[in-house]
Amino acid sequence: MTAEALSLIVFLPLLAACVIVAAPGLSALSVRLGLIPLPLLLLAPTLEVLDQGTYRMALAGHNSPLGIEWALDPLSLLMLWLNTGITILVSLHASYGFPPASEAGRRFWPLWLILFASMNALVLSADLFNLYVTLELVTLAAIGLITVEGKPLALRAGMRYLLLALLASLLYLLGVGLLYGQTGTLDLYLIAERIEISWLPVTALSLMIVGLLIKSAIFPLHAWLPAAHGNAPGPVSAILSAVVVKVSVYMIWRLWFWTAADWDLEAVALLLGLLGGAAILYGSLAALVQVRLKMIIAYSTVAQLGYLLLVFPLAGNLAFKAAVYQMLSHGLAKAAMFLAAANILHAIGTDRLRRLAGIDQRMPLDVFALALAGVSIMGLPPSGGFLAKWLFLEAAWEQQAWGWLVLVAFGGLLAAAYLFRVLAVVCLHPRRRLGQRSRRRSPTPASWAALLLAIGAILAGFFSAPVLDLITAGLPPGLGSR
Amino acid sequence: MADLGLYVFAAALLFGIGVYGLIVARHLMRKLFAINIMGNAIFILMVTAARPLDGAPDPVPQALVLTGIVIAVSATAFALALMVRLHRETGQVSLSADNESGGDDG
Amino acid sequence: MMALLLDGLIVLALVSLAVQAISGRSLFRGIIHFVVFGLTMALAWARIGAPDLAMAEAAIGAGLTGALMMVAYRRLVAQGDNHSPRAPAQKSRLAIPIAVGSGLLVGVIGLGALLADNPPGEAGLIVLETLPEYGLGNAITGVLLLFRGLDTLLEIAVLLTALLAARALAGTGDSSATARTQHPETPLVGALLAVVIPLTILVAVHLLRAGTHETGGAFQAGAVLAAAGVLLVLSGRVSRTDTAGPLVRLGILAGLSAFILIGLMPLLYGEALLTLPGMWSIYLIETAMMVSIAAALILLFADAGGLKRDRRG
Repeated sequence: MTAEALSLIVFLPLLAACVIVAAPGLSALSVRLGLIPLPLLLLAPTLEVLDQGTYRMALAGHNSPLGIEWALDPLSLLMLWLNTGITILVSLHASYGFPPASEAGRRFWPLWLILFASMNALVLSADLFNLYVTLELVTLAAIGLITVEGKPLALRAGMRYLLLALLASLLYLLGVGLLYGQTGTLDLYLIAERIEISWLPVTALSLMIVGLLIKSAIFPLHAWLPAAHGNAPGPVSAILSAVVVKVSVYMIWRLWFWTAADWDLEAVALLLGLLGGAAILYGSLAALVQVRLKMIIAYSTVAQLGYLLLVFPLAGNLAFKAAVYQMLSHGLAKAAMFLAAANILHAIGTDRLRRLAGIDQRMPLDVFALALAGVSIMGLPPSGGFLAKWLFLEAAWEQQAWGWLVLVAFGGLLAAAYLFRVLAVVCLHPRRRLGQRSRRRSPTPASWAALLLAIGAILAGFFSAPVLDLITAGLPPGLGSR
Repeated sequence: MADLGLYVFAAALLFGIGVYGLIVARHLMRKLFAINIMGNAIFILMVTAARPLDGAPDPVPQALVLTGIVIAVSATAFALALMVRLHRETGQVSLSADNESGGDDG
Repeated sequence: MMALLLDGLIVLALVSLAVQAISGRSLFRGIIHFVVFGLTMALAWARIGAPDLAMAEAAIGAGLTGALMMVAYRRLVAQGDNHSPRAPAQKSRLAIPIAVGSGLLVGVIGLGALLADNPPGEAGLIVLETLPEYGLGNAITGVLLLFRGLDTLLEIAVLLTALLAARALAGTGDSSATARTQHPETPLVGALLAVVIPLTILVAVHLLRAGTHETGGAFQAGAVLAAAGVLLVLSGRVSRTDTAGPLVRLGILAGLSAFILIGLMPLLYGEALLTLPGMWSIYLIETAMMVSIAAALILLFADAGGLKRDRRG
């Protein structure tokens, strides 16, 4: 069952994309067929992982060292759920902005489905070169979606993203080539067994990690992200911030904690942690001075991604749980924020902060979603974001790493500052400056999509036990004991 | 078979030239030349980094490079389309003068 | 000694062409230099002992990339590209140190990898060992389709994605900057096409068939077939439309959908995903991929949603 389910999880959306291109008349139906069965399909793999822990399948019947294998472990399962859950809810929103039967929809949906499929393929893959191909597919589909409306700012942002992404892929590819030369295989688990630490594999790993840091927009390689995420169409911004940048962080984790598990690289770990810390500070401060709502949210992503790197210096059971939980809850919260921002932008015609005064009365659902998601981003209880940050604090406390402890706490304060700035303008501003521009309303389901995601980010604070158990079951080798 | 050391040397030079081009070139198409040249340098290294089998290069890296070439062409084709559209909308073919955070709608 | 001289010349040509492409005065000549660079790369691959890569680089890397760049250049000119940066380069004091540093780094890594005393790649040895069981002569085709089919499947998806994303950008209804020539046609063109097109198709089919036992394969064949299509577009035998007809759509999708459907089939009788059920499936997938690659590349070249036969000639 699991093998069939996993195959369909990757290929069903791809086939649906093909059908839309082949028969545009069937596009509404194929969008549904490509997305809605996915949660059901995920059931069998979930049971498998709960039961057995890890599931591996050799594609085409050829296992490593030559063939490509898919490996489903608790971490990749959680990534599949994150991608599926968020994609489906964001798709609900996108089906209003890009109706499948319309001209715009026929451009949007094939790329959207390919993006979805390629991220599923990425988190399943255990093969370094196959990861490269899936990552290229993710990047091209994502940039195609950023520029799908042809707005000048989005075109420019997409171009910059594309050039940097191509550079990043080359660095990653060079590392893959070197590791193959050293080990005669591309399987990331098998490489871990075969490789001995020396300057060549360390260089290869560093090249790959630098490439992936560019793709995940980690400070100081973040320059492309705010423009790209801030100017993309609403649903695209949501998926970019919630999932697309995360999959390359996921790849860094895989390389670091699985392939290079036995290597003693404390200096590099510290460096990565410092980059993360710098990202938190810089992203938050930059978010404080932005004038557009979507740009604030985009810079917030730069900051929140920084937390995902704190797992390297704080390496341990707690920190890993914290980082994975941060990835999941930030995904939900950030998708909610971008969708709410898209609804506001649609209704008001601008997302400049000073024009948003008093919209809480006109768009209560969206403002509520924004606020709820904000609670999680700030790390206030009770929310998924709170739990993630609490686990980080606990991890830092346990290791007596006071610097990191202060950083995590301060990061929360900064997030509160930039989000309260938004909420203050939206809710408390005395002047009412509405009605100068268009008075379009977003359809209610589009607002509900944002609200559901925001509620998910809050609920993640309550129903955390099964997820945390799952993360514990899938701790990387070597971290479990600490 | 040829002296691979010479080609590794060529790859290093090409990579350096590509990096230089990527930094200094203004026109987007030249940046694409630069990236493609860097790509070729890396393709050479991927093949030379693996030990030959029976005197011929290992087929696995060759297959990977073949895939890499097709991906590079795809990405280049998309980048060119993006460049043409960018030029149509803004009249510019470079990224130097930008103002990303501005603009009313995004 | 002769060999060393030849390799030295190739390397020298590569480096000087790369410099010319990046820093030459005119962009048009830059494109020419880039194309010749690609052809020289093909020579280099042949020297390194990788004839499949040589062919792919000549057809895809140099030929089609060059054609796409030419077309993009023509469109820029047609759109009135007078804003092109006057100086080809912007000044940067760090550029040279960074370039030299990264070149050195890559050189050291490359030499280190070349001189490292690694055992021969195990994956490669397995390929050579198992290949005869399948009746395939070309190890690279074997890797691409039999052993690591998912890479190839996703690579076709990458090409399709690039096409879809580029199409979304093209907008509709502007056929002002067409790629085809508008000159009155000399009778020679028709006669020439009548010879060249069938010949090209013949070469493509040969390459496809050869791919199973010697140098060649779907990618090289697709690129050659695309060249034939490009000729038809250029000579006005085929004209651009905004939306694709059923045949063109089928062509674009044939590779990916055939690969997925055949790849899913083994699940029905309990074998692993993407296990190819026999030589017929390899031929089928390769043919479908060739058609898709050619269709995608022609559409990218013509910047068109679809193509139709033009009856005026």
